[in-house]
Amino acid sequence: MTIPPHTFLLYHIGCRLSVVSHFVIHLIIIFLSFSHSLPSHSPMNVDLRHIHKTFGKVHANDDISLDIPAGTIQGILGENGAGKSTLMKVLSGFIYADAGEIRLDGRATTIHSPADAIRQGIGMLHQDPLDFPPMKILDNFLLGRAGGLFPDRKTARRDFLALAAQFDFSLDPEAYVDRLTVGERQQLEILRLLWLGARALILDEPTTGISLPQKEKLFATLKKLAAQGMTILFVSHKLEDVEALCGRVSVLRQGKLVEMMTPPFDAGRLVESMFGKQVTLAARTPARPGLVTLRAQNLSLEDSRLQIHQANLDVRAGEVIGLAGMEGSGQTLFLRACAGLLHPVAGKTLVGGRDLTGQAHHAFKKQGVAYLPASRMEEGLIPGLTLTDHFVLAEKMRGVFINREAALGLARQRISAFNIKGTPASTVESLSGGNQQRALLALLQTPLNLILLEHPTRGLDIESTLYIWAKLKERCAQGSAILFISADLDEILQYSDRVLVFFAGRVSPPLDAAQTSVTQLGQLIGGKGWETLAGEAAHA
Amino acid sequence: MRHLMKFISLLALLGILLAACAPAATEAPAATEAPVATVASAAATEVPAATAAVPAEKFIFGMLLVGPYNDHGWSQAHYDAGLYVQDKLPGSEMIYVDKVNPADRPGSTPAQLAEDLVSKGAKVIIFNSDDMKDSAIEFTQNHPEITVIHASGDSAWADGKDFKNLPNMGNIMGRMEFGKMMAGCAAALQTQTGQIGYLGPLINDETRRLASSVYLGAKYCWTNYLGKNAADLKFKVTWIGFWFNIPGVTSDPTQVANDFFNSGYDVVISGIDTTEAVTEAKRFAADGKQVYAIPYDYIGACEEGAEICLGVPYFNWGPAYLATMTAAQDGTWQAAWSWNSPDWTDINNPDTSAVGFQKGAALSADASANLDKFITELAGGLTLWKGPLTLQDGSAYLADGEVATDLQIWYLPQLLEGMDGASQ
Amino acid sequence: MRNSRWTNLIFQLIAVILALGFTTLVMLIAKAPPLDAFKNIIIGSIGSWTKISDVLISWTPLLLATTGLLITFTAGLWNIGIEGQMMIGAVFSTWVLRLLQESTLPPALILGLAILGGMLGGALWALLTGVLKTFGGVNEIFGGLGLNFVATSINLWLIFGPWKRPGVASMSGTIPFPETLWLPTLPGSRLSLWALGLALISIVLVYFLLRGTYFGLRLKAVGKNAKAAYLLGVPTWQYSLAAFALCGIFAGLAGAMQVLVVYHRLIPSISSGYGYLGLMVAMLVNYQALWAAPVAFFFAALNIGSIQLPVVLKLDSTLSGVLQGTLVLFVLLMQGARQKLGIRN
Repeated sequence: MTIPPHTFLLYHIGCRLSVVSHFVIHLIIIFLSFSHSLPSHSPMNVDLRHIHKTFGKVHANDDISLDIPAGTIQGILGENGAGKSTLMKVLSGFIYADAGEIRLDGRATTIHSPADAIRQGIGMLHQDPLDFPPMKILDNFLLGRAGGLFPDRKTARRDFLALAAQFDFSLDPEAYVDRLTVGERQQLEILRLLWLGARALILDEPTTGISLPQKEKLFATLKKLAAQGMTILFVSHKLEDVEALCGRVSVLRQGKLVEMMTPPFDAGRLVESMFGKQVTLAARTPARPGLVTLRAQNLSLEDSRLQIHQANLDVRAGEVIGLAGMEGSGQTLFLRACAGLLHPVAGKTLVGGRDLTGQAHHAFKKQGVAYLPASRMEEGLIPGLTLTDHFVLAEKMRGVFINREAALGLARQRISAFNIKGTPASTVESLSGGNQQRALLALLQTPLNLILLEHPTRGLDIESTLYIWAKLKERCAQGSAILFISADLDEILQYSDRVLVFFAGRVSPPLDAAQTSVTQLGQLIGGKGWETLAGEAAHA
Repeated sequence: MRHLMKFISLLALLGILLAACAPAATEAPAATEAPVATVASAAATEVPAATAAVPAEKFIFGMLLVGPYNDHGWSQAHYDAGLYVQDKLPGSEMIYVDKVNPADRPGSTPAQLAEDLVSKGAKVIIFNSDDMKDSAIEFTQNHPEITVIHASGDSAWADGKDFKNLPNMGNIMGRMEFGKMMAGCAAALQTQTGQIGYLGPLINDETRRLASSVYLGAKYCWTNYLGKNAADLKFKVTWIGFWFNIPGVTSDPTQVANDFFNSGYDVVISGIDTTEAVTEAKRFAADGKQVYAIPYDYIGACEEGAEICLGVPYFNWGPAYLATMTAAQDGTWQAAWSWNSPDWTDINNPDTSAVGFQKGAALSADASANLDKFITELAGGLTLWKGPLTLQDGSAYLADGEVATDLQIWYLPQLLEGMDGASQ
Repeated sequence: MRNSRWTNLIFQLIAVILALGFTTLVMLIAKAPPLDAFKNIIIGSIGSWTKISDVLISWTPLLLATTGLLITFTAGLWNIGIEGQMMIGAVFSTWVLRLLQESTLPPALILGLAILGGMLGGALWALLTGVLKTFGGVNEIFGGLGLNFVATSINLWLIFGPWKRPGVASMSGTIPFPETLWLPTLPGSRLSLWALGLALISIVLVYFLLRGTYFGLRLKAVGKNAKAAYLLGVPTWQYSLAAFALCGIFAGLAGAMQVLVVYHRLIPSISSGYGYLGLMVAMLVNYQALWAAPVAFFFAALNIGSIQLPVVLKLDSTLSGVLQGTLVLFVLLMQGARQKLGIRN
């Protein structure tokens, strides 16, 4: 099925607005009550002139000029590898431009480092939030704050709680950062930058890790900040986000600035600018579920924050099950338990009829269970090793010595089969996010009974997303079952056969994706409508 | 995790660097000795100053020091003696290698370093530590043309257990027993509580002997000069397990000194190579407590805390080395084992006395006078290694009136009766 | 690739020049003649065949320690405990010799068993650190340091207790073994080709192990990202333990060489600090086996050559330590600088 992209996008936006209207109203009330204490800063105009940056042969930024008036929410669109992140890194002092000029409030300036950038009022929120895992949240919050050896923790704590309340972020300042989800880490980073006095805020793909309500909160906040004069650069590859938020949009493609638009946005033209071609959406194929590959039986799970009581699920060969819920609602616990990475406190896990309860992940792996984590560079891939190394690692050992020729052949074949932009000798950290995800998929062995994925398309552009799902569907056709977590409700409904909703440790009975709307799903992940659900489950 | 690793690696590197730079506290003055009644080329002979006709050729002698040449202890005492010889013997020149121990000089043995000194023209080699015994013997056997002195060794002692009968090897050692007796005497005269602590290294024949010497001196002065009852003198030895503190391996000498001072012992005498006793006494004195310490080995050891230092028994190797070099230059040197006494006319004469006692500023006038009396008595032939003496377990050591032979002193099997502390 | 290799080399060269410059500065401040000092170090280390053989003697255990450390570093482990592993290797080696020296077995067999014993001792001691880390949650740095202390006390206890010399226990160690139980050396020299050969074989083995085998690649994966390696199917803690055991084998071999070639007895500081020095060498070569041999030789040469400083120039010989330390620091600094300047590999 081929549909024009703008129709596709409008459909998204329409659904979302209706779902979250009550959140918006809620937020307005919150903001009215807190607006007096919002940090107020003098507005700043950011002007980039003729920025050039090359990495080896790649011209990542090719003569980019962009003048952003204070108080604007400037969208930067582009597919992965278009040069968005590079441009933002130049602006935030992470890297130097080869040529070009940065003018802040009309004055030419040099930004020497990220610390220097924040001194000059530019704060950057990264795609992978940089933080210091073993620290407490409050200590992380205090980082980078000038003010002597002994920071005033009491004041900082008060400011932190006030700021967090404004955004309705429920972060405990005494909790440890390594316990946070990606979404919560981003929230923390936003608070920190605001507190450090950012006058211009750069957000690099900020909506990828966070739940829908969190996203709505964020958007309202950004609009409020912009109204007060904050300059905001919003980097994304998601058209709907940009359309919902931005006052201006610039599109990058292959290092060049190719389009500049103000509302109303012509979605079709934006997509064409981004990709230089039209995008095709994969057809939905109804599943023909086979035998039970995974049985979760009265599974009780817990970690330091959350408990799940007696979850039950049968996963059948060839079906796709989406796990929906806000960050930290229990879906990750469940997925990890299915992989043998988390041992249940009660209940059983059976793979292909075999009871693997309490066994290590490798026992699950032996039974054809694969697990693809969300944090690709932290858990999925090994920085410093090449693609070839990864393929060799994932294969079975043959003897003692590695056959280099065979390994190279394998790498070449997988790279072309999965359309990875890289060479066998490329280190994984040199790949873009989309290509890293493709590499992860390319590492999956054949055959597999069950593939468990956390956020399989987070941070990826539409083209990569479609490609990855096409590959996953191929697996389903070969008999693998798929369980995946996503914050994108459309993705869940688009690709799942059945959906499990998680809310604060509660698990819904499996819902038929075809019979479920985004609205319904949105309410469930927000904790509404569970009473009727129990009845439905009983009925089913 | 990456940050943590970086941090830890930096720490580790720093640690390694510090470890590499720290002065190697390896020094082991293990005095192996036993006096042969007559010693041919014994030290304290007069310096033949008349033969000052400057030889045309330089006379080079080499020294291997186990610790740093400036350690304020055992090795520096030797190094200073070498300078003394250079000064007194015209045409002589010292070359040396310090920190000769496997931790500081990985991959090199004392024998190999001695060969290096020989290749630089040394005619006499001094090995200054018991540590170097095997290497010294190996070197001596391989280099019959070189005169070798193994300080504190006993392989040249015909009566000793380790006699090797090498014509080109001699041993030199001072009779520190006298110095230790003086230390014990000074402590007994000064103590207010009647409790003396001895900070001992590891337990062997030598350390038992020296600790017992301290006790003999203390008991003598306590009973004879102060007229007190020997039973009222408490004397406790605490062995830390080694010549210096090895964290986690030995007892911490700082802690041991601390315990002494806290439990009523007001004088701590050090038998180890480092100066924790002085440092701790200084700290307690600063808090207003009246406590004292007596260090060991080196004449300048009181400088660290003069106000609480009762004195220091020290070695003076200069005269013996001068005699050795002079004889070696003349070709009259003969292998011998020398156990050199203080010069009783003046124990602190740098030109004649092998062992001395430098009084400290904290020694009271009365105590000082009595100590002088004690030294005079020793000079007059008083011997404290004389029966009746009983060992710690009650068995007889010396019968009434019996004077211990050097062998008996040397191989003292236990601490003496009246001393508190382990013998084995 | 070629480009990055050249920049790499240039940065390393700058580091060496800076380290030399810093050391020179230290000497100038100490009013010592730097040129004379460097000249003496060179002459004192490679000026004659005897000197070169002295350097080679020192090189052997240092290279063995570094070889072992390359394995643990590859697995992402900081095996500070290598000193203790060398010591226990030496203890085991001594133990075998003591047990068998009265026997009628041929000396060659006894020596072989003593070498194997040393390797076993080192491996067991290293495994202890690994077990503490894997099952006790004790970081290997702290566990290793602790076990170093324990090894030192075991060593001292043996020397001053059960294995003491007849008569007086002594810092100079246990009584030397008869010459039949010394590893054969070149005539008129202390250099043993056996020891040298074992060290060279070891480094070559480890080079190929880390470069061309599944084991090496999986170890690398564990070292760089244990979580990802686990998900890719590598049994991570087993590989960590294996890395410890292998490193311990080489450390124990180094300890055995100290007993069989250098000291011919057990002495208190039998490890001679080669473990810590090996850590520096491994860091300096950025954990690459190819460079370990020449850099270890350089460090050994500095150790031996610097002995000339007090003898000839009356200088403190810790100067070589200053040079070694600053060299490592500057190389690490340069690596940091290179990353900062954004020069990509």
